[in-house]
Amino acid sequence: MSLRRLLIIMVILGTWEAVRRLDLVGPLLLASPSEIIGAFVKSWPDYFLALRFTIAEIAAALALALIVGIGTGIVAGMVPFFGATAGPLLSSLFAIPLITWYPLFMVWFGLGTMSKIVYAAVSGFFPIAINTMNGIRGLDRRYLLFGQAIGCSRRQVVFRILLPMAMPSIISGLRIGTGLVVIGVIVAEMLASFGGIGYLISYYRSIYATGHVYLGILFALACALAANWGLSLVERRFTHWRELQIGER
Amino acid sequence: MTSTKPVVIETRGLRKVFSAGRAPITALQDISFAVREGSFVSLVGPSGCGKSTLLQMLAGLMPSTAGEVFVDGLPVRKPAPDKISVMFQDATLLPWKRVAENVEFPLEVRGTDAAERRERAAAMLSLVGLTDFGARYPHELSGGMRQRVAIARALAPDPRILLMDEPFGALDEQTRIKMGHELLDIWSKTRKTIFLITHSLTEALFLSDIVLVMSHRPGRIVGVIEAGLPRPRTYDIIGSAEFGAARNRIWKLISQDDDESGDNGMASL
Repeated sequence: MSLRRLLIIMVILGTWEAVRRLDLVGPLLLASPSEIIGAFVKSWPDYFLALRFTIAEIAAALALALIVGIGTGIVAGMVPFFGATAGPLLSSLFAIPLITWYPLFMVWFGLGTMSKIVYAAVSGFFPIAINTMNGIRGLDRRYLLFGQAIGCSRRQVVFRILLPMAMPSIISGLRIGTGLVVIGVIVAEMLASFGGIGYLISYYRSIYATGHVYLGILFALACALAANWGLSLVERRFTHWRELQIGER
Repeated sequence: MTSTKPVVIETRGLRKVFSAGRAPITALQDISFAVREGSFVSLVGPSGCGKSTLLQMLAGLMPSTAGEVFVDGLPVRKPAPDKISVMFQDATLLPWKRVAENVEFPLEVRGTDAAERRERAAAMLSLVGLTDFGARYPHELSGGMRQRVAIARALAPDPRILLMDEPFGALDEQTRIKMGHELLDIWSKTRKTIFLITHSLTEALFLSDIVLVMSHRPGRIVGVIEAGLPRPRTYDIIGSAEFGAARNRIWKLISQDDDESGDNGMASL
């Protein structure tokens, strides 16, 4: 099986390379695998430096989105008055293309790392907050009563009962949020920055180094994979019981 | 038969008005009754008559508009988890915790140490006949078994009072009858004071020493029926003449009240 897969990949790469070598498509539109490898050999230290930079921004933005998003979601889910206001507000803000705000973020937080982190965190914040809120609102009220009846403090009710109950919903918000954070960081880097994978892509595009642009895209893919991997660890930790449930019923 | 025991739960002039909507709704009015130590008391009434509201007030989960609940002569203003346990229609088990962990949970919350918790949970699971199921997850159990876990969990902190809100309402009839028997068995072993809400007259009468009958909106106690049936009870008793007579008395109280409120409704139009 693996041999056949390898063969298919070889054929695809071979065709790709041939298309470029025979000049069927211009050098600005497509970079051949060998050109991408060439770019890697030539400047890999730059890319790994940029990768570290970008992943650090993603991690920081994700942490921020997570804490503020879940916190807001809990309050909006539990306090009826706040929820009635915050619910529609969150949903409508989520519907605005956030990128239109980016120029403001640059003014507020500068051209450096901070504006990327804040911008990406805000884009990840909405789905996390909305899903946390909906997850908690959807719970059977009797779980709240049960918690109070066994003498839970308010904190225990939230962290020992409601939050774990709402975890499946929170995780699905987290999944969307993580994707948006990765996109947010890279797009923000591409628009204006001093470093990171998005910066490299944007820079090499401006000097028409197509091989480097493709390499940058591959590194962006690596960022997304890394974020997904981190997410899957969280997911496995918190929802193993739910998978069991679906698997056995 | 329990008339010499001290009163553990007492309500005096309990009243509850919900004013969330445009017009305030009186859910409960002038609820006064007493439950003696170790007795089994049921509350029956049409759905929506405020039974659950009353139970929540007994548990200290909801404030009253007027009147007061007393447990051991002291007013109840907040939950008293070491005296009172509450059980709901849905078992409200925590799905990510194993059965034994669920039973331990009320103890864990109050900081009981792990060894004692485990011992207590094992004892309670054995009481409800689920010794071999401690390592399972709730979703692996049937509805009846889940309710037995909920009973074990409610008994784990060794409360004196067990408040049950339609605990078997979601079960099929056979399971329900079986659970009733088991509850009586557990009750006779532990001697808790049980206050149970149900809409099944048969279930109420079969289980209880005393059946409180409640009316519809505003909820009032319209009758206190002493079951007066011998114990231990078996299923046969349901076919007996005295059982039928008592059941009829309850039914009359409920239907009479329906007619009255219907007439009143017409008159006020």
